[in-house]
Amino acid sequence: MTTSGISRRGALRMLGIGALGAAGVGALGACAPSGAGVASNGGDPKSKNFDFTSWSLNEEAAKPSIEKIIAAWEKAENSKIRAVSYPYNEYLSQLTLKLGGGETTGAVHLDIAWLAAMAQMGKLVDVGPVADKAGYTDVALKSGVYDGKQYGLPWNTGSIGVIANSKLLEKAGIKEHPATVEEFEAALRELKGLGGGVVPYAAATKVAQLKDIFPWMQTFGCDLFDGGKVTIGDDASVDAVTWYKKLHDEKLIAADVDRFDARALFGQGKAVFYDDAIIGKGVTSAQSKDKTLADAMQPMERPVLKAGDTPQAMLWGGVIAIVKGKGQEAATRFALHATTDRATTSEYFAARALPPSTTAGLAAPEVAKDTFTTEWTQKITKTATGSPFWQFAQSAQIDEAVAKQVQAVLVGTSKPKDAMKRAGEEVAALIKR
Amino acid sequence: MSTAAPPQKAPPPRQRTGARLSNGAFALLLTAPGLALFAAIIFYPLLSALFTGFFKQDLRLPGREFVGLENFAHWLNGDLFTILEQTLVFTIGATLAPFTIGFALALALNTGIRGSGFLRGLFLFPWVIPGVVVSFLWMWIFNANYGVLNGVLVKAGILDESVAWLGQPGTAMLAVIITKTWASFPWMMVMLLAGLQTVPKELHEAAAMDGAGSIRRFFAVTWPQVRGVASIVLLLEFIWNFQHFDTIYVLTGGGPAGTTETFATAVYQTAFKGFDIGRATALGGLWMLLLLLLVVVYLRITERKGDA
Repeated sequence: MTTSGISRRGALRMLGIGALGAAGVGALGACAPSGAGVASNGGDPKSKNFDFTSWSLNEEAAKPSIEKIIAAWEKAENSKIRAVSYPYNEYLSQLTLKLGGGETTGAVHLDIAWLAAMAQMGKLVDVGPVADKAGYTDVALKSGVYDGKQYGLPWNTGSIGVIANSKLLEKAGIKEHPATVEEFEAALRELKGLGGGVVPYAAATKVAQLKDIFPWMQTFGCDLFDGGKVTIGDDASVDAVTWYKKLHDEKLIAADVDRFDARALFGQGKAVFYDDAIIGKGVTSAQSKDKTLADAMQPMERPVLKAGDTPQAMLWGGVIAIVKGKGQEAATRFALHATTDRATTSEYFAARALPPSTTAGLAAPEVAKDTFTTEWTQKITKTATGSPFWQFAQSAQIDEAVAKQVQAVLVGTSKPKDAMKRAGEEVAALIKR
Repeated sequence: MSTAAPPQKAPPPRQRTGARLSNGAFALLLTAPGLALFAAIIFYPLLSALFTGFFKQDLRLPGREFVGLENFAHWLNGDLFTILEQTLVFTIGATLAPFTIGFALALALNTGIRGSGFLRGLFLFPWVIPGVVVSFLWMWIFNANYGVLNGVLVKAGILDESVAWLGQPGTAMLAVIITKTWASFPWMMVMLLAGLQTVPKELHEAAAMDGAGSIRRFFAVTWPQVRGVASIVLLLEFIWNFQHFDTIYVLTGGGPAGTTETFATAVYQTAFKGFDIGRATALGGLWMLLLLLLVVVYLRITERKGDA
């Protein structure tokens, strides 16, 4: 038998080192995400330092004003806030993983559409006791409620609607905003005639924002979800998608557009209408070379199928939720400060044109006198409704399932009727699952 | 009076208290840390993932429910074969195109043309850029509404209007393959150039003296000499492309309408967009089985090469 020259004792010593190494790997494994279901993400709830996670910190137009709020808080409280951000389109996935893995603590900025999904993870604090007396409007307060509990302090409450470029409308000789779908279609054809690569309506055609089809489906008479039953797949939803496809084929809407592209096209003066939240004015005009664009931006009631119908719009808004664990008390006070402090909300409005969520904030002269904001509230938010799918943890997957089927119609790989039938079945399966 | 110093005794040999290790045991000992690491970071997660494929489990919610083969059946009765077909189209396209370009450039550089050193460095440029950056770069080039490609083609009169390269089923996969080709050809070029430089010049000279032209010399002398390197390069690139994720995800996210969906993007979308970890791991398991077949082929080829 050949030997290696190493004794058993030496070997045992080396094995011991190896075992330590393996234990180290095991320890690393223990540091890995622990999975959903652990109620708190650990740490001292009374810590002055905490994280603040927001997609807006990833947006050039929004970042400076949020950083200012953070800096002011840090100075006043002698604390440290770690700012964390992910792009909006990746935000839900990233936040879900980090929250589930116990890596997210403090305050988190949430789209109201995601609140149910996040709340069901069981890691958010019920902030009802502090929210009740903070002076939020009723609509705003409700946007942070899931299953009877207040999981979010409303930061901004608004809607997603259509924004028009009045200069281009004027150029095409269109004096009034189109009120019906028929008028809208005629206006789009007129605008196409402007030439120069103008996209009359920079509607979403990429999956990421094709949930914008929902208000159009509602315009055509589809309830989306009624009496516990998914109605996507009914004649109204098929008509809506058939119409959308017609706009696509006639190049009245452009292929491969998401919110980012739509803002870019609008900012370049190459789109006349596009869908956005009220925040769109600040973001789009800030990134445009045309410094007069902001003045040309007008909120427009979504055209209705026939005169007298109610214009459809989707509610939109952001809340700040608090994660159980490290710094939860300070994070709650910070969220309350950011969303209700009169000076802070006014300054934030001045920087981003995002109206506050409190009665006092909305009554502030600079907000009340802002024409765009008041028109937006009157024309769009007044009749806006939340998606019936927000109540489900799978709401993001539902949006995506429908979006994929609509996109299949747009690119010609599926017929509207088949696609909507499949979309309805997939949504029903997701809700059941 | 001097006294003679007593002769110094040599120290007794150190007692060996342990038995000697055999070579086999020593080899086992050396591989133990590696095996432990492999078990902890590859084998355990792999088994755990395969096991998860038999459960209905949401990444966000606690608990899971045993569903047997339901997750596997979901894919087998659903999109598995479409995903496989699209993965193969991407894999074959993104392997053969850079191979052809890389080989052509390697042959050109191997002739010793002027500035070949500089050109070799220049051609390596796309390879050193991170894949995600390359993908974003091409995403802007292919952008339907303000991309450079459309701008150039429309200005040159080749196109009447912009094309949604990434938004149409017919062009999206082609765009993804072009992007991956741009990122991959330098690596293939370098490997093939290394192979070409091992071909003895004497063989070419002898063949030329026998009257062989350049095409004949390529097939009779060059190709047999670099065939081994070429097959390894092709197979490795095929395996990598079969698993490739970033280019497809950044450019199209698997769209439009799922026409560029591959195993990598489908698993990601299911796990991290759909949060359905059960179905994602089931698809991952099926994908791994297919990959294993490729690995077996790779091992056979490398073994054959070793025997030769």
